[in-house]
Amino acid sequence: MSAGETTGGAVMAAAERYRPRAILMNLFAWPALVVWTLVGIVLSPFLYLGWKVVTGWDVGRITRHLIWVYGRVWLLLFAPFVHFRREGLDGIFDAPPGILIVNHLSFFDTYCMGLLPIHDINFVVRAWPFRKLFFYTAFMRNAGYLDIESDGWDDSAAICREVMARNGWLIFFPEGHRSRDGQLQHFYSGAFRTAIELEVPLIPLCITGTDRLMPPGRHWLLPSRVRLRALAPVDPRNFAGDTGHREMRKHVKALMAKNIDEMRSCDAG
Amino acid sequence: MTEQEVVALINSSLAEEFELDLEDMDADADIFDDFGLDSLDIVDMVIVLESAFKFKIREERAIRKIRKLGEIYTFVLGKLNEAEQAS
Repeated sequence: MSAGETTGGAVMAAAERYRPRAILMNLFAWPALVVWTLVGIVLSPFLYLGWKVVTGWDVGRITRHLIWVYGRVWLLLFAPFVHFRREGLDGIFDAPPGILIVNHLSFFDTYCMGLLPIHDINFVVRAWPFRKLFFYTAFMRNAGYLDIESDGWDDSAAICREVMARNGWLIFFPEGHRSRDGQLQHFYSGAFRTAIELEVPLIPLCITGTDRLMPPGRHWLLPSRVRLRALAPVDPRNFAGDTGHREMRKHVKALMAKNIDEMRSCDAG
Repeated sequence: MTEQEVVALINSSLAEEFELDLEDMDADADIFDDFGLDSLDIVDMVIVLESAFKFKIREERAIRKIRKLGEIYTFVLGKLNEAEQAS
């Protein structure tokens, strides 16, 4: 096997990169994504109006729904080359909303949130996506996504409280950026503090396979198996006191690490 | 609180929050280069310090300019002195 890039323990050899299916995927999936994104941007004002008339929802909710639909169509576009699998999602989203956290391996992790059966999700993100993903910025702002880095803790906490009060969901990527080696990185505390402060359950989501699909530093897509597993909700009341968020963070990180290892070993086997 | 106690509390609080080794907590350590912290960690650091010392510093611009651990010691000691003089 020739030297290749290493992500999440997977070595991508040149032979694998230039297999006919991988070439076909790159010839189809990238153009399809660009076309779908442009079509979505052009159609969005009309869809806003249509949704508004039909549902009466506010701009934020309509945008979050359109983003979810965008993710769903992305799943369809990539489905000929990527096997998507959902685990443990049944019943979780019938309960009152909470905070979702997910590990981060690839640019496409956010698109994979289209696998979730709910659309009313506010992403909590860093400042850079608002600055650099210029073609998405307007949608992110309209959707009410939180810029936790610029808004600061107090304002972000207030917005999180509002989201929960209207039965919306929040999603955090607690590592803050994509893992370069596939392993879980240091978790920021925001999601855990928020869960404790708002007394809402925290649902860890584990994702695998997107580091093979497209890890940081590579734009060449590879056919993959992507799995999204929801773990049982974690009750913040079990983590009281000033250092409760740290205990909760350690507990959840250990749970996620165990499940990610298990998911990867199943795929390897 | 003595200066040593303040330093010890800062070290233990930051070490726990950011999973750092207490042995690496040196006044000359650069919190970004040596500890691998980033701008988002500063949000967490402010909350940790507020919680440890029961003061409010999230509106203070000076905290955002800090790079060295020793500067955190100086900043916190200064805030504690201010609070003591005010009371």
